[in-house]
Amino acid sequence: MENMTEAIATLTGTILHLQRLSTEDGPGIRTTVFYKGCPLRCAWCHNPESLLLKPEVQWIGNRCIGCDSCLEACEKGALSKEVDGFQRDRSLCEACGDCVRACPSGAMEMLGEAISVDDMVSELVKDRAYFEKSGGGVTLSGGEPSLQPAFTLELMKTLKQAGVSLALDTCGLCPPETLVELVAEADIVLFDLKLIDDDAHHKWTGVSNTRILNNLQVVKKEIEVSGGSKRLWMRTPLIPGATDTRENIQGIGQYLAEKVGAAAERWELCAFNNLCRDKYSRLDMAWAFAETPLMTKENLAEVDQWAKTSGFDPQRVFVTGTARLEN
Amino acid sequence: MSTLTVDKTRFAIKEPKSLSDRVRWLRDYYFEGVKRRWSNEFTSWTTGTPWDFQYNELSFYIVPETYFYIPTFRSSFKQTAKPVALHKDFWSWNLPERRAWFLKEVMVNYVPKEILPGDLLAGARFNVITSHCLTEKETKEYDKLVKGKGGSREAMLWFHNHGYGNTGATSGHLIPGYARIIQEGWVAVNAELKACYEKLSDEEKKGPKGGQLRAMITSSTLARDLAAKYREKLLALVENEPDIARKTELQTMANNLARVPWEPARNFWEAVQSLWLTHMLVMSDENYPGPGVSFGRIDQFLYPLWEASLSSGMDREFGKDILKCMWVHCNTAYDGMIRTGGNQGITAGYGQLLTLAGVGAAGLDMSNDLTYAILEVIDEMSPILEPKPNVRLHRGTPEPLMDKVVEMIASSQGAPFLLNFDERSMAGMMLEARKAGVQHLINTTNVHEYAPVGCLENTMVGNDRSGTVDDNLNLLKAVELTLTGGYDMIPVKDGLTGLPSKLTLDGADTGDPAAFSTWEQFWQAYAEQTRRIINLSVETYEKSEAIRARFFQTPYLSCLVKGCAASGKDINQGGAELNFVTVEAVTYATTVDSLLAVKHLVFDKQICTMQELVKALKANWIGYEKLQAIAINKTPKYGRDDDVADEMASQVMHLWTEEVWKHKTNSTKRQFRPGMLSWNYWISYSDILAASPDGRAKGKFLSNAICPSNGADIKGPTANVNSVGKVMGGKAADGKGDWAEYFNVLPNGGSHTITFNPSILRDPEHRDKFKAFLRGYIENGGSALQINMLNADLLRDAQKHPEDYRHLLVRVTGYNAYFTTIGKELQDEIIARESHQMC
Repeated sequence: MENMTEAIATLTGTILHLQRLSTEDGPGIRTTVFYKGCPLRCAWCHNPESLLLKPEVQWIGNRCIGCDSCLEACEKGALSKEVDGFQRDRSLCEACGDCVRACPSGAMEMLGEAISVDDMVSELVKDRAYFEKSGGGVTLSGGEPSLQPAFTLELMKTLKQAGVSLALDTCGLCPPETLVELVAEADIVLFDLKLIDDDAHHKWTGVSNTRILNNLQVVKKEIEVSGGSKRLWMRTPLIPGATDTRENIQGIGQYLAEKVGAAAERWELCAFNNLCRDKYSRLDMAWAFAETPLMTKENLAEVDQWAKTSGFDPQRVFVTGTARLEN
Repeated sequence: MSTLTVDKTRFAIKEPKSLSDRVRWLRDYYFEGVKRRWSNEFTSWTTGTPWDFQYNELSFYIVPETYFYIPTFRSSFKQTAKPVALHKDFWSWNLPERRAWFLKEVMVNYVPKEILPGDLLAGARFNVITSHCLTEKETKEYDKLVKGKGGSREAMLWFHNHGYGNTGATSGHLIPGYARIIQEGWVAVNAELKACYEKLSDEEKKGPKGGQLRAMITSSTLARDLAAKYREKLLALVENEPDIARKTELQTMANNLARVPWEPARNFWEAVQSLWLTHMLVMSDENYPGPGVSFGRIDQFLYPLWEASLSSGMDREFGKDILKCMWVHCNTAYDGMIRTGGNQGITAGYGQLLTLAGVGAAGLDMSNDLTYAILEVIDEMSPILEPKPNVRLHRGTPEPLMDKVVEMIASSQGAPFLLNFDERSMAGMMLEARKAGVQHLINTTNVHEYAPVGCLENTMVGNDRSGTVDDNLNLLKAVELTLTGGYDMIPVKDGLTGLPSKLTLDGADTGDPAAFSTWEQFWQAYAEQTRRIINLSVETYEKSEAIRARFFQTPYLSCLVKGCAASGKDINQGGAELNFVTVEAVTYATTVDSLLAVKHLVFDKQICTMQELVKALKANWIGYEKLQAIAINKTPKYGRDDDVADEMASQVMHLWTEEVWKHKTNSTKRQFRPGMLSWNYWISYSDILAASPDGRAKGKFLSNAICPSNGADIKGPTANVNSVGKVMGGKAADGKGDWAEYFNVLPNGGSHTITFNPSILRDPEHRDKFKAFLRGYIENGGSALQINMLNADLLRDAQKHPEDYRHLLVRVTGYNAYFTTIGKELQDEIIARESHQMC
């Protein structure tokens, strides 16, 4: 028994970072935990650093003071100095962290670190006063929290015991029994539904939406049996040319109206943003949306209209995010 | 999910709104500045003796920007001074009597009386620089003490040039007993003074007490006699006024002056007239326009008259217009040196602070209809610099007030007021009572009556001078002295020859730090140097305090401060019931981060030796860039809600605040107390203080007040707030703090500024989140918060096109300034400051 307690206390998760005073991931003031690792491969992903479960290292050029400490520290020979800065041969880099530790300026940054449940909890309760005053709490996001189920479950149980309200932000792709376990600990589920057409879903995210929709039904049931103590917010990213079509928006709305109904307290449609462009280049990744402009106000108004006439309760439709700046 | 590209309408510059024609004209006229025909520019007045002078340099020792000009100011005010025909007995009186008579003579019989078109309040010109009224012998003595070897000026310059800070006996920064004048009138003050005088023995009457009380008796009729002069002026205007409505107004104003401020006010108009005339004469008496001469809880003491006038038919908007006229009058303080400009620093913010809302007896919230009316006035007049509003928040602040506060923050460029937090503030006042043994004056029955002065400096009301800007100490100097064993790290260059001066052991002799084998040894040496610099600051302050007590009495102000009449002592001689001098610690976070860096780099991780660190600092990090980068990026910092780093911060706080309580002034027996307000010193001393172990190069800005170092608060606003609350004392685990469960080791309070991205306030849902943030601040945070809403793109554009952003207000360390009027250096800093990404 003692060994088990110890095992749980030392259980670690791979986490990118914690965002305090987060105001966009559920009700109230929240601390959002960004997990590393995601089962989807959405072409527009805004958090490319969260795709892989394993840690990675990135180089942030404008922090670099050019001391070459990283070059000296790397025993794998993965780093080289080129005219436009340090290049990393990712086939050689094992993300051992030697260059990160050697770097004096924070230019070399580790993405994803193993953190124990206890260490996480002691950080996450620090904003309790703000949670309580705002009806907020902790949001587990990512990445995908259900991809590290044992850690997530333990973290949720411990936080719940500490009286912290919990939101689970999920893409919906995981074994249904995992989802049931996690939803049991959550106060609110933020569930992403990106594309209603299965072919399109496959094309843009790399996977079918069949399991996601099935899981949505699993969550819906949990919400319903909770008798109002649990809440469900649906979320759809608005991606130009991918998800922002009339068919998709109205299709999702229709599905929600018919198959989820009153269990969904709100449906948030979040406008495309291009601020992650630098993240892709730092990870030596190409991004299909690098040159895509933000949506216009008119686009967003149109989407708002489609969503509100889709059959889903228009009072519960929220279009959020930033429109193109027009002169 | 940040929002960098945003709807431009969100950054619409705040404009005044809903102004009546009268107020719009007055406000526009005020902003015409030098083009105005009328102005409240200083006039200078002399006794006519060849040795006479006017300029009181002591009051400006805390403004290093003026040091260079001290002789110029003194001679130019002297040259432009107009003579006053003296009373035949003038030179037979003692000094306070001469000063009281002279001021009264100037204000009543020399300074012109004018009424601006449409204005509802009399009392226009108050910026005067009056004679010191000294005899030739007194002048010689004064000049020796000020300008002689070892004098106050030399001591002050040494203290400043060597990077310790600045210190001097300064004007204002208190809340006079205005409520009493409104409720009882000057007639009551006059009667009390006469009674006190009559109680003196014949011997005492001949002595300093008698002279002081006679001076105060003279001063207590100043407002009455000035009111009579303004009344004459008004009656003359009534005669020639063709407009019937205006004629009636002028007649009412004349009638008001027939009564107030001599007698109690009977209605709101009389009350504001009484308040304004009484207030402006404080600025005349001190020869200093509005330096933190604050109103206190104006929505409380004016409320009965507001309510009475409303119920007897006063139009609510007309009541607000009376206040708006007072707003315009307050701003004319800036006319003092209107033609010499000076946008940066000294004229950027005077701080005639008023306080709204807050807790009352039995923990009840005290907000009322006048609170909201004044908030409307602020909103409608804004942007405008004076008076500076402060809204007190507490656990019981009602939702409608929170809504109004957040709505105003959303519609302005940042909060048009400072926020003060009652629980934390009152815990500090209770501590002060215990430390100074004045529990009979500050206790659980009255501590809620506290109010801030100037920016955020908490004091009691009507009986308290706490010298809240008088002693400004750079804590970082103690780190420097520890690293050198008591010497300046960089020799100060001689002002005349430009050669480095010889290094002397100015600090404590703590020896070569390279010999320390443990962190504990370094800490002990730091503690000794901290004691040393506090001692030096107290000794330096004493010089100007003693000179002011002897040569610069302000008998008019003394009439408005409880204790002076009973003791027969001027406020500048320690006559107030509550007498403190506040040591405002500057560079706090830079100091804490530097100690954390020494511990981390030299002792814990042994990344470098002590010798290497000192060499790097002497070289201003040049050639040591890697070590500097580690110091900046890889060492713990205060402000991240990191318990280990914040524990160091708490130790630093405990050490210096406890040391401060050990001191009193010799000449006036005023108790020193701790606070954290750094005005703009974190900028001005950045070029004087050497590079610091936290990675800061010489020339880079120091930390501001109680805020984390620039760029250090990478965990966001809540972490920043939690750190601040912790180092101010946090809360008692057993619930038994100094006020409820709260502690506060800074009775003066600490200035805390946070910059937010405006998207936090973009819709009602987010405004609710922001309200919750403020409620969280009440629980976890400090005593005072200034909220900025900035966007770097907008500010860069404002820098390029100042003409388009004339009204853009920014807030700097507890006071605000028009962005386009501050210097480029400060503008660049504001632009660079990290705006917290709220979404």
